Amino acid sequence: MPVIRFITVRLLQAILVTMAVTLFVAFAIRLTGDPVVMMVSEASNVTEEDLARIRESLGLNQPFLMQYYDFIKSLVTGDLGDSFFRGPVWDLIAVAMPATLLLAATSMLVSILISIPLGIYSAVHKGGLADQVIRVLSLVGLSFPNFWLGIMLVLVFSITFPIFPASGYTGLASLVLPAVTIGIILTATNVRLVRTTMLEILSAQYVMVARAKGLSERKVIYKHALRNGAIALVTFMGLQFGNLIGGLVVVELVFNWPGMGTLSVEAIAQRDYPLLQATVSILAIMIVGVNLAVDLIYGLIDPRIRVA
Amino acid sequence: MTNQTSLPTDTLLSVQNLTVQFGQGSGAVKAADDLSYTLARNKTLAIVGESGSGKSVSSLAVLGLIRHLGGQVASGKILFKSDVLGREVDLCTLAEEDMRHIRGNEIAMIFQEPMTSLNPVFTIGSQIVETLVLHQGISQRAARRKAREALELVRLPNAARMLDSYPHQLSGGMRQRAMIAMALSCQPKILIADEPTTALDVTIQAQILNIIRDLQAEFGTSVIFISHDMGVVSEMADDVLVMKASKRVEMGSAKEVLGSPKDAYTQALLAAVPRIGSMTGTSLPKLFDIPGQAPTEETPAISEVDKSQPIIEIDKLTTRYDIRGGLLNRVTHRVHAAEQVSFKIHPGETLALVGESGSGKSTVGKTIQQLVEPVSGAVRFRGKDIFSLPKEERTAFRQQSQYVFQDPYGSLNPRKTVGDSILEPALVHNIVGAGAEGRDYVCDLLEKVGLSSSQVDRYPHEFSGGQRQRVCIARSLACKPSLVIADEAVSALDVSVQAQVVNLLMRLQAEEGLAYLFITHDMAVVERVSHRVAVMYLGQIVEIGTRQQIFENPQHPYTRRLLAAVPVLDPGNRPDRKPLEGEIPSATRAVGDEPQILPLEEVATGHLVARGTKGFDGLQLA
Repeated sequence: MPVIRFITVRLLQAILVTMAVTLFVAFAIRLTGDPVVMMVSEASNVTEEDLARIRESLGLNQPFLMQYYDFIKSLVTGDLGDSFFRGPVWDLIAVAMPATLLLAATSMLVSILISIPLGIYSAVHKGGLADQVIRVLSLVGLSFPNFWLGIMLVLVFSITFPIFPASGYTGLASLVLPAVTIGIILTATNVRLVRTTMLEILSAQYVMVARAKGLSERKVIYKHALRNGAIALVTFMGLQFGNLIGGLVVVELVFNWPGMGTLSVEAIAQRDYPLLQATVSILAIMIVGVNLAVDLIYGLIDPRIRVA
Repeated sequence: MTNQTSLPTDTLLSVQNLTVQFGQGSGAVKAADDLSYTLARNKTLAIVGESGSGKSVSSLAVLGLIRHLGGQVASGKILFKSDVLGREVDLCTLAEEDMRHIRGNEIAMIFQEPMTSLNPVFTIGSQIVETLVLHQGISQRAARRKAREALELVRLPNAARMLDSYPHQLSGGMRQRAMIAMALSCQPKILIADEPTTALDVTIQAQILNIIRDLQAEFGTSVIFISHDMGVVSEMADDVLVMKASKRVEMGSAKEVLGSPKDAYTQALLAAVPRIGSMTGTSLPKLFDIPGQAPTEETPAISEVDKSQPIIEIDKLTTRYDIRGGLLNRVTHRVHAAEQVSFKIHPGETLALVGESGSGKSTVGKTIQQLVEPVSGAVRFRGKDIFSLPKEERTAFRQQSQYVFQDPYGSLNPRKTVGDSILEPALVHNIVGAGAEGRDYVCDLLEKVGLSSSQVDRYPHEFSGGQRQRVCIARSLACKPSLVIADEAVSALDVSVQAQVVNLLMRLQAEEGLAYLFITHDMAVVERVSHRVAVMYLGQIVEIGTRQQIFENPQHPYTRRLLAAVPVLDPGNRPDRKPLEGEIPSATRAVGDEPQILPLEEVATGHLVARGTKGFDGLQLA
């Protein structure tokens, strides 16, 4: 079965990628300072022996590779151990992960709902006024730093006009601003992508054939052309997922969103090795997993790949 | 809108003073200019003309699809008797909603490129079913049954399975049949066929033309057949409309227009068409007669073949391409592009290497030019094997052997003047110096190929296709070669231009004593230019001999079929031939599955024929 072989190869790749990412993170965080010194910085009269004892209890006296081995073991067994300060890592992730997934999915949805119709309209009416306005707006959107856009949205929609909450997670209303922030950033690139993809496809011979069959223009565009365009769009959106996660970390901070991004940044600040290693590894596995899923969906859309 | 009919009863479609233009105002270009023609019931009207003559545009106007190409109907009428709408309509002013009931239902179209005409992400069946459901309002189930019948009508094997196949699983010929099945599924009154066989091999072309003819007879469909190929037109058309520069040149019955054309342009066009069989009895190649040019203005430009030593000798050349696959990316299959190919070319001689797509003819040319490494065999240039030459002598050989490619658009650097493009290889090989000397050299070459020395500083986009091919020929001559490999060098050109370029090649051969390896699929051109002919099939030569031996006494069944499939310009005379059924098999084989080499035996002096037809499984040759 070629599909099974394909998945096996991709899973092996995914494991390698995860190993490389975790190794780098585990190494890099240890260059930033000693967590034990930070833990006790408030307290007075701490002796060198006290520090050594704490280090030993946390396993920090072990050689780096030994510590890394322990972490990988915990990752494989699924028991991620305890945070230095905040109890079991799993409990923290179990709260943060759904929040991040909700935000990621909503932003993606916002972006798709805006960019596909706009991109298609722009391609169909190429050179018209609407096309030019859409292209300029998408360029403006590309030029925004995402945190700045987030701050502006907060200023307008929670301070000047207090419609949506500015931070935290207190219900669906608080989802609006962060999701719109990331959604708009994604839309700026996606609109351009949809536009160029559709322009290329609309000039294909089979589109003219579909018209010559007597199909309505809507069917020609949304059935015959878009299904082909989806091949390129799905690939790109899979690749974009990595960027999305990167953007999410910053935007979560701006909106104080209790997700994986905020959790990671807090872990960095506190030199919380187990927590940081776990969050980064899980995000990396997610990105690899999404890309794997994209490759499989790709095969569903494009019959040429299914067979090959 | 009145119900009164203004069209005569036997007329189905009448195009009246149609002008189609692209662009606005002063920049507007007319793609059809005051064009008028009528299409009778159950007849085939062929629209012929060279590229850019506007022959396709007028038919897209009939379907009301011009605006999707950025053009518009500026004036004129297209009257059509619609049964669906129950009245006579002007297709130029008809509402889009009504137009959609006609498109694909009463007027259907097949396009030139079968490889890109079908949507790659839908099955063949669903694409036919879609049309049926749309126009006939029948259920999916009933439509699927009708779709299968349509596929059976175009003689696609295993129609039931074909319904669930995707376009990429089919060959070009099969896709074009599926396309015809789709176009005819609603039994349209008019079928527009825009160069439906141009992209196909000649044996497959014969199959497709036969199917169109048979179905036309069965359903009484009127056909608008757009083509540049006079042979095909002669076989298909009842009436012929000749177009030039967006205008109608002349129109009449096929017999009149092709047999005794009145207009000078039509006469010139027909004179330029190579006619297979026209060279019977002559042993040497012959220039085309081009009206307006005195045929014997120069010495009869046919070279003497110097038989003393061959300039190039190909000895059991085998070239294969590896196909990798699987988990470890190992070689799993090989394309057996050339298997034990042997031939010689003497100075001043043209050897034509003919075959259909995938026969390996281009691979042989590329291997000689050292663009591809052979697996085994030798290429001896003036007696020395080029693959074991020291580096300097290899460079010298590269200078002596030049290549002219098929596509004159893609083979010139758009950012270099043609002068620089021509000079570059001569500089590389130290034939001339740069500066004034090089410039004079290039100007001489331009004049030699029939261009003007004042064009030396122009860029490729300022030239037409034929002129670009002349530039490419000038570039190949810049190295003072003794062998020129012309790989489909005239295939992309219009017939009148093709005749001029072929004449140019023959003149240059006479003047410089050049040897040509002329790689092509066009048998009619081969009959004109070649001294000897080699026929390739699936990587092997199945027959080789003098031109007269091959054309007047073909021995191998494949050669005979190839010759029989060429459409003949013989107005009023439709050949009643049984087309070659089946597909050309693939030259791709699993590793270890070696093809059997067909031994060649000599049937006359210099006439070698492969024994047997092993490997010809796909084609029914008998």
